[in-house]
Amino acid sequence: MKEKMKLFGRCTAFLLILLILLSVASYIFMPKNNKKEFGMDVITANGILGEKENTIDVLIVGDSESYCSFTPMYMWEKHGFTSYVCGTPGQPLYDSYRFLEKAFKYQKPSVVILETDTIFREYKYSKHLLSRMQGMFPVFQYHNRWKSVTINDFGSPIDYTWTNDHKGYYLNQKVIAGSDKGYMTPTDEIQDIPDLNRRCLKDIIDICQKNDAKLIFVGAPTTKNWDYAKHNGVQEFADKHDIEYLDMNLIWKELGIDWATDTRDRGDHLNHSGAVKVTDYLGKYLKEKFTLPDHRDDAAYSAWDEALKRYNASVLAGE
Amino acid sequence: MQSYCSLIYLGIFLPAVMLVYSLMPQKHRRKVLLLASYVFFWLVSGKLLVYLLMSTLSIHHFGLWMASIINEKKSVLAQAEKSEKKEIKARYQRQLRGVVTFAVLLHVGVLVVLKYSAFLGTNFNLLLSALKAPFSIPIPTFLLPIGISFYTMQALSYLFDVYRETIKADRNLERLALYMSFFPQIMEGPICRYSQTAMQLWECQKITYSNMTMGMQRILMGVMKKMVIADRLNILIKVVFSGYDKYDGSVMLIAMVCYTCQLYMDFSGAMDVVIGTGEIFGIKMPENFRQPFFSRTISEFWTRWHISLGAWFRDYVFYPLSMSKPLKNLTIASRKHLGNHFGPLVSGSIALFTVWLFNGLWHGSGWQYIFFGMYHFVLILLGSIVEPFVKKGTEKLHINRGGWPYKGMQIFRTVCLVNIGELFFRANGLSAGIAMFKNMVTNFTFASFRDNSFYKLGMDRYDVIITIVAVAIVLFVSIQNERGISVRKSLAQKNVVVRWAVIYALIFFIIIYGAYGAGYVPLDPIYANF
Repeated sequence: MKEKMKLFGRCTAFLLILLILLSVASYIFMPKNNKKEFGMDVITANGILGEKENTIDVLIVGDSESYCSFTPMYMWEKHGFTSYVCGTPGQPLYDSYRFLEKAFKYQKPSVVILETDTIFREYKYSKHLLSRMQGMFPVFQYHNRWKSVTINDFGSPIDYTWTNDHKGYYLNQKVIAGSDKGYMTPTDEIQDIPDLNRRCLKDIIDICQKNDAKLIFVGAPTTKNWDYAKHNGVQEFADKHDIEYLDMNLIWKELGIDWATDTRDRGDHLNHSGAVKVTDYLGKYLKEKFTLPDHRDDAAYSAWDEALKRYNASVLAGE
Repeated sequence: MQSYCSLIYLGIFLPAVMLVYSLMPQKHRRKVLLLASYVFFWLVSGKLLVYLLMSTLSIHHFGLWMASIINEKKSVLAQAEKSEKKEIKARYQRQLRGVVTFAVLLHVGVLVVLKYSAFLGTNFNLLLSALKAPFSIPIPTFLLPIGISFYTMQALSYLFDVYRETIKADRNLERLALYMSFFPQIMEGPICRYSQTAMQLWECQKITYSNMTMGMQRILMGVMKKMVIADRLNILIKVVFSGYDKYDGSVMLIAMVCYTCQLYMDFSGAMDVVIGTGEIFGIKMPENFRQPFFSRTISEFWTRWHISLGAWFRDYVFYPLSMSKPLKNLTIASRKHLGNHFGPLVSGSIALFTVWLFNGLWHGSGWQYIFFGMYHFVLILLGSIVEPFVKKGTEKLHINRGGWPYKGMQIFRTVCLVNIGELFFRANGLSAGIAMFKNMVTNFTFASFRDNSFYKLGMDRYDVIITIVAVAIVLFVSIQNERGISVRKSLAQKNVVVRWAVIYALIFFIIIYGAYGAGYVPLDPIYANF
């Protein structure tokens, strides 16, 4: 027994020191700003970190469908509430969770939108585990910064100053026509959400509840990635957990989507023209369903007006 | 859980098994290990676990069958007249041979069907098409249970050892099942003999602080080899081997050396984790590597690289073949004509050819693997043939064969030959291997370094530097081992501050310089697919 206690004591001491060292290393390797030159990854989505504290009303997470379909600046211009898309290419659910975790440290959004395409994106448990470890100890995420770490990384405070004028939206005005090919033909078939994804969705529900944010599922129109069986799978999960679910794939005609002009890659993603139609509907939907404030006359939000000017200039320039 | 270096194995599975194991009383620990082993196999191969179970049940049954024949033989011999004994022995030997042959055919048959039927079918169809036959046979594909080549070898060694009466057949199915399935070794070996691990596993010693720290240190070293070196080299190797026609000879040469290094770091790293895991549970498994790149000849190399496989082929293929009547007669005849050195080489080369054909095929079902086996067969045979001439030549030239310059030259030559062999081993088919080798020799320029395009192939300058540093650490440990100094034992004699500082340094070396996360593609364990 004595020997067991000794073993336990030594293991505990070793692990405690390890945790302290991990925290120190995490501080050293964390980018000290959210700009690319400081080593920050996916800076467009991480631009949320540079937004003024508690100024974002709606937070959007998901994969490429999210940042190609929802344009926060359009909603700001039309309705006056603020939103940010923390979407990244191929974002798995554990990354959606991580973005929410990071964003909730600085923001108190009243609505969180999860773009549903990511719900069926399968991944290995080891990746999920690594992501959680990266959340606890950022050295696991930014370890490769050893190639660029400078003396400043050892003493400077962390100060995120950069944000994205498009608020995470990816402006693309290219047109490569597609067709709907009856991709949303009704069926009773239900595509199962993988177990691991279900567990992660529950974590997302929990973190939103803890932070008093209303979680809703929104499916952006995509002929290539969506079908009715997937819709049924999400609907079943949403009903079970009492989550609002708006699948725009069911109403793409009502939205006015023309697959000949509103997609940049044959129906995989929307282009700007398609995104405006989708966002117009989403903005009205959010305004109607939730009590979102209008900050347009608030001087504290003047930066958003400045960003809007630059955003509109980019749109006009045909970028 | 596709790798022993994965987060799930090292972060969840192993600690959970250790915890449950240490909380259990000694008599239940073996059940914990067996259950953990089957859970592990299930997590990796799912329902294919049934193959392992069948294999275990079958060797248990055949072992007992042979034991009953041996026992009967002994009791009959005890009562027999001296003149009858020879005939009785021969009769029972025939029975035993029949049982062991049937058992071996069963195991090898399953392996051949699962692993080689696609290769055999494809080549049969090629033959049919060359003969302009108007039909072809369908090519079957089967899911391969992980580690089948390893546990089948263990099963066969058990059967052979019972047949030879070097061990007694085990009546205890649980012990045999544990010997066959012990989770750290099931995926990549080492191929253990029953006499090496079965009893140790059955004893189930308690986990001590000393065993745990020694085991953990070895595991850390293995993870370092895999994550810092093997995984870092992965992108470069993939890019060059899949697009070899786009690069010059110097890039080929580097990719070849990098692949040999990757293979060693991946496999020996996995062995460090495997043997380290064994050490935690107080089980001493046989070593699979003994500083192979310090070998002076190819045949020495194969006594230091994948030792358990080489020893298996030596004990169960080479020796029985060499000692068989036809080859013994051939040796006697050829001795008369070719003398004492070259005479035995004739029958030896037949046994050696068989070993290397099997060795090549064991690694995979493809012509490049057969070529790989034949390449080493030819090199070893040539080594034996030229040895007397080299000996004479060096004596005449007064070259000291024991001196460092000569030894260094031999090591360099062996390393070069091994590297060339690995180039063919890794190439995407035999023709790709030949094209790469030709490109390396005929198109050797440093253009990719002059225009810096080399650093865009998956490794920048920093990656190159850290790889060199990590290889230097492995080299230092290897030199110490070669000198008979165990770095871990030396470390164990230092005070706790030094000991822990070294361990933390190694942990953070892996965390910071490991090739994981965004921008890296981790390597699947190479040997687990064999």
